[in-house]
Amino acid sequence: MRLQLRAPARVLGSLGRPAHRRTRSALIAGAASLVLAFARVASAQVAQVDTAHTFYHEAPTRTNMTVYTPGVDVAVTPAEWVTVRGGYEADIVSGASVATKAGSAYQSVNPGVDVITTASVKDFRHSPRGGFTLRKGDVAYTASYTYGTENDYKSHSIFVGARTDAFDHNTQFELSYARNFDSVCDRVQAVEDTPPRFRALEDSSGCFTSEERRRRRALSIDGFQASWTQAWTPTFASQLVYTAQLLDGFQSNPYRSIIVAQGLKAQEHHPDVRVRQALALRFNWYLRPIKVALRLTGRVYRDTWDITSGTGELEAERYLVEGLRLAARGRFYRQTGALFWSDDYTGGEPPLGPKGQYFTGDRELSPFWSLGLGARVTYTIHPTAKPEGGTARLLGIFTNAKLGSSADVMQFSYDEYTLAGVPITNARAYIIGATAGAAF
Amino acid sequence: MEGHKLAQVLLATLLVFAAGCVTVKPQQRSVLADPIMQFEGDPQASAQLRHAIDNREGSYGGGGVAGGGCGCN
Repeated sequence: MRLQLRAPARVLGSLGRPAHRRTRSALIAGAASLVLAFARVASAQVAQVDTAHTFYHEAPTRTNMTVYTPGVDVAVTPAEWVTVRGGYEADIVSGASVATKAGSAYQSVNPGVDVITTASVKDFRHSPRGGFTLRKGDVAYTASYTYGTENDYKSHSIFVGARTDAFDHNTQFELSYARNFDSVCDRVQAVEDTPPRFRALEDSSGCFTSEERRRRRALSIDGFQASWTQAWTPTFASQLVYTAQLLDGFQSNPYRSIIVAQGLKAQEHHPDVRVRQALALRFNWYLRPIKVALRLTGRVYRDTWDITSGTGELEAERYLVEGLRLAARGRFYRQTGALFWSDDYTGGEPPLGPKGQYFTGDRELSPFWSLGLGARVTYTIHPTAKPEGGTARLLGIFTNAKLGSSADVMQFSYDEYTLAGVPITNARAYIIGATAGAAF
Repeated sequence: MEGHKLAQVLLATLLVFAAGCVTVKPQQRSVLADPIMQFEGDPQASAQLRHAIDNREGSYGGGGVAGGGCGCN
C-alpha cells in the first residue's frame, strides 16, 4: 500500500507574544519545519500494506495437524533512500502428533499391544518483526529483527543483507546473513541418566519460568545466502541461489519418545550440530506466442546428517484478462534418510535396527518423496490515470491493490516410516492461501 | 579432484563475466518488469508456503530472491 505523505497546510507564526508562549510557539514552529522538510523529501513516496493467510491441514493415519498462519506487513518509504517496515505473523496450531514411536520389529514381539501413542497439540506462535532498507545508487542494505514466542520455544533472529545491480541493471547480486538465538523448553533429566534413559517432556506447563522441572536448551542458527539474478534476453532470466546453514544446539522434538529396546523408551535424541547446504537454479521464460511465463526450478540439498534431496518445480502463468493472472504449478521432491534414521531401533533386518548413539521418530528424517500440485489466481488493480495528471487513486485512496488466492495439495510417500509396522499411505496435505495488498 | 574444483570455479567466474556482455536495453525490459516474470512476485505468500513445506521435509534453503532481472527493484 502506498501512502502519499503531504506537507501541513500552514506553519504557525510566533512573533509578538509573551516569552513562555514564544518558546512554545518556537517549538511548534521547529517541529512543523521538520515535518515540512521531511514531507518535502517524501512527497512522492509511498506506504504498502500486505496481508497473507495460509491454512494447512493433513490427517494421515492416527494423527492430524491444522495450522493457520496469518501475517501482515507494512512498509513505508518516507524518502527514496530508506524504507522502514514492520510486520506480524502467527502460527495457530492444533492437532494430534505421535508421542511414542515404534516400528514393525517391536510390534511383532509384542502382538496385541498398541505401542503407538499420540498427544494433542495446541500452540500459538506470535512473531512480530521490523527492519529497514537503505539505498544508495545501485546498492541496497537491509537489516531486520524477528522475535518468535510460543509456549515451548523462543527465538530472536537478526538479518542483514546487501544487494547491488551491475552490468546496466541486467545483473543483481545479493548476499545475506541471518543469526538465530533460540531457546527450547525441555524436561530436567536425572543427573545420572544418559540419553537412552531420558524422558520426554510431558507438556509445556512451567516452560520459561523458574519451575525446577523445566530447563532451557539453546539452539543457535547461522545462515548465509548468496544469489545471482541475470536477465539474458528481453524474455529470459535466471537466478542461482546458494544457501548454507549451521545449527548448533538442541534439535530434537522434546515431546517425542522412541522405543529403543524391549521395555525401554527414551526421548528423541538428535546430534547437536547440523550443517546444511542447498543450491537452486531458476529460469523464467516468457513464451510470446502463447503469452505464458514458464518458471522452472531445480534444487539440490545435502547436510551432515547425510540427507540428500532433489527438488523440481514447474510453474506456468498467464493473464486471462488485464490484471487477472492464473498460475498452475507442480513440484516433485525426493530425499534420502538421515544417517541415524531407523524405523525400529530394537532390531530387525536392515534397514531396521540400531544406528549408533542417536535415534529419531521424525518422519521428515526418513527417506520419502512427495508430489505437489497447485494453482494460484492473482488480481491486480491499477486505477486509470487522470487526463488532467496527478496520481490516480482507487476509491480516492489506493494507488493500486492486489488480491490473490491459492490452493495446493501434496502427497507424501514414505519408503520406511511406519507406525508399529503400519505404513502411512494417506499422508496428504492441503494448503490454502489468500493474500491482499494495497498501496496508499 | 582439486583440478575438477578449479575448473568449476573458473567456469562460474567465466559465466559471471559473460553476463557483463549481455545487453538487455531498458526499453526492452517491459516483459521482464511485468509481475508475471518476477522470481518472488509475492514474497509474503511464498514465505508462508515455504514455511509450511519446510516443516514437512528434511531440506532447507535455496529459496527464491525477489526480482526478475529487470533492474526495477
